[in-house]
Amino acid sequence: MSRFATTLVVLFVLGWQPFAAPTLTVPNRPDTLKFAVLGDNGTGDAPQYELADQMAAVRQLFAFSLVIMLGDNFYGSQTPANLVRKFDRPYKALLDAGVTFHAAIGNHDEAATVNYPPLNMGGRRYYTYAVKHVRFFVLDTNIMDAEQLRWFEAALEQAREPWKLAYFHHPLYGNAERHGSAVDIRVLLEPLLVKHGITVAFSGHDHIYERIKPQKGITYFVAGSGGKLRKGDLVPSDTTASGFDQDQAFMIVEVDASELFFQTMSRTGKTVDSGTIPRVAGRNGTM
Amino acid sequence: MNTLNVLPTPAAVPRPSRLDARRWRGLPDLWHFAAEYLLLLPFGVAIALVHANIAPESYFRTVFALDFFVTDVAMVLFFGLAMKEVVEATTRGGVLHPWRRAALPLVAALGLTLVPAIALRTIASAVGEPLVAWGWPTTFAVDVAFGYFVAMVIFGRHPVVPFFLLLALASNALGFVALTPAATATQLQLATLLTLMAAAIGIVIVLRRWNIRSFWPYLLIGGSLSWCALVMGGVHPALALVPIVPFMPHGRRDPGFLVDAPSTAHDTLSEFERWCRHPAQVALLLFGYVTGGVLFRALDWGTFSMPLAVMVGKPVGLLAGVTFARALGLHLPFHVGWRELTVVAFLTTVGFTMALFFAAVAVGPGAVLSELKMGALLTLTGGLMAFAAARLLHVGRFARHPRRP
Repeated sequence: MSRFATTLVVLFVLGWQPFAAPTLTVPNRPDTLKFAVLGDNGTGDAPQYELADQMAAVRQLFAFSLVIMLGDNFYGSQTPANLVRKFDRPYKALLDAGVTFHAAIGNHDEAATVNYPPLNMGGRRYYTYAVKHVRFFVLDTNIMDAEQLRWFEAALEQAREPWKLAYFHHPLYGNAERHGSAVDIRVLLEPLLVKHGITVAFSGHDHIYERIKPQKGITYFVAGSGGKLRKGDLVPSDTTASGFDQDQAFMIVEVDASELFFQTMSRTGKTVDSGTIPRVAGRNGTM
Repeated sequence: MNTLNVLPTPAAVPRPSRLDARRWRGLPDLWHFAAEYLLLLPFGVAIALVHANIAPESYFRTVFALDFFVTDVAMVLFFGLAMKEVVEATTRGGVLHPWRRAALPLVAALGLTLVPAIALRTIASAVGEPLVAWGWPTTFAVDVAFGYFVAMVIFGRHPVVPFFLLLALASNALGFVALTPAATATQLQLATLLTLMAAAIGIVIVLRRWNIRSFWPYLLIGGSLSWCALVMGGVHPALALVPIVPFMPHGRRDPGFLVDAPSTAHDTLSEFERWCRHPAQVALLLFGYVTGGVLFRALDWGTFSMPLAVMVGKPVGLLAGVTFARALGLHLPFHVGWRELTVVAFLTTVGFTMALFFAAVAVGPGAVLSELKMGALLTLTGGLMAFAAARLLHVGRFARHPRRP
């Protein structure tokens, strides 16, 4: 047997799945909200393109209509040509299929990218929108000024949708060695998230995938390996529910009336985490 | 403002190259100054760094609870005292008197501020942290107290010291101007600000006309109204006493920059200074605590953008600014040449406390502020750079042929 063939056999035995067909663990029911989660993706390099291809392949089975982006949508040069190379081209299949992207701003994004039409930020650093029965709150954790906090609280109070989800770039809880928890922002945001019944919060920044055990009733995801990857950076602690730092990854999420289903897949289509999260009620009575 | 009894007048005074007996006699004054104004603030920063890195959640909860009281209220006294120094510096014997003496450093300060601000934008983009450039007013900051201390250690009573002070004051003044649009672009209420501020200054002028000598009415009526004007107008209220202090009755002669009012001085401003001294020190300690806590793991490329921008931009900017000022026909002080200017340029890179303040005003809490604050702490290396430059260029205490009296 040639050395190449031997290597392939060994890799398969170790669980390598180069051409794995995606297998869904989410229910994939009609009338639910289906979306994908992607963070720290905008490198313009091959792994970003390969993960985008995997997302397009998954969409053939799980017809998500929305992608939420967790910031660092672009790294390095952000000229018009680079925006095309780092966004339009890798996600062309999804864009052509009518998938909508809604981005948060990260620390590597130029301020002007909030005006980039495909990101649907409407020129704002922070904003809110609703799809079906889910209200999304998109925050700018680069600068969490008093004005943004006032806006966030008012938007939370006005929200009437049964589900409230938030996403932003810097993780409030995280166990990656490079950055970890943004405690200063946590002190400001967590009371509002708890009070107003946010069930799940997504963030990026650390180039790994991690699911945190519920903290004060809220499940936090770090999904910052949509393009960049920092292998071996996750140092699990007692707050870690699950993690993956060996390959690029993205999430798919399905939300019905009372439960949120999630599945995290690597660039090769391997499922690295999945589960179900029940909706929580806010202290102000929203359910 | 303190009990430093040195005379920072431009008169040329001997600069021995070694720490001789005369210099040892001068040091207690410097140490007194350090104890009052240098150590309390870094002490607050040190406590903050330890607290933030041991129990971050507890630290940030405390900070967010104290923030308003410290930065919006207590620091009013500190900036009031700083303005008092500026006002007195414009009187006879002051470093800002007459205006021709102040002209060159004021013009040079334009280069000192513009070049590093542009450099920050360039460097932040180059290292892939473009949002850090939002903190550009931070590059204007010069830590007057720390810089003065280092300048005195290097130069003693050399004319370059008041030159440095003028540069620092002018740079910080431009920083305050820069902070207003940077921090309040969306909420500046100019009509409200001007109306209420005019009323505050009007009241202070009337009090002065009535020959009111106690500083309390100026502080409580004029200062409070000015504070409200700034808050309602959308400008940081720590500056509330800045427009009030110039209209308070004061002495006709400057006792010296950063020098306490003599016990015989009973004018309103001197009385205010005596009352304010200890509360201002408490404010500085708390300010160091509130602004200084940065998680060491927050170190990122953006962290180095600001110190790098000032290390590169300020020497270039100062030398360009001085060249421009000289082209306008303005003159450098006696015994100040390019070598002394180079050392001064590195002294001005130390933003430290002013940079912490400017950062906190320019951007709200979050990742960008953490990076800027860590950057502000790193600018302390500018003091070492100044020492290294002085040694390399043989100026100040490292001069080969010290001048004799």
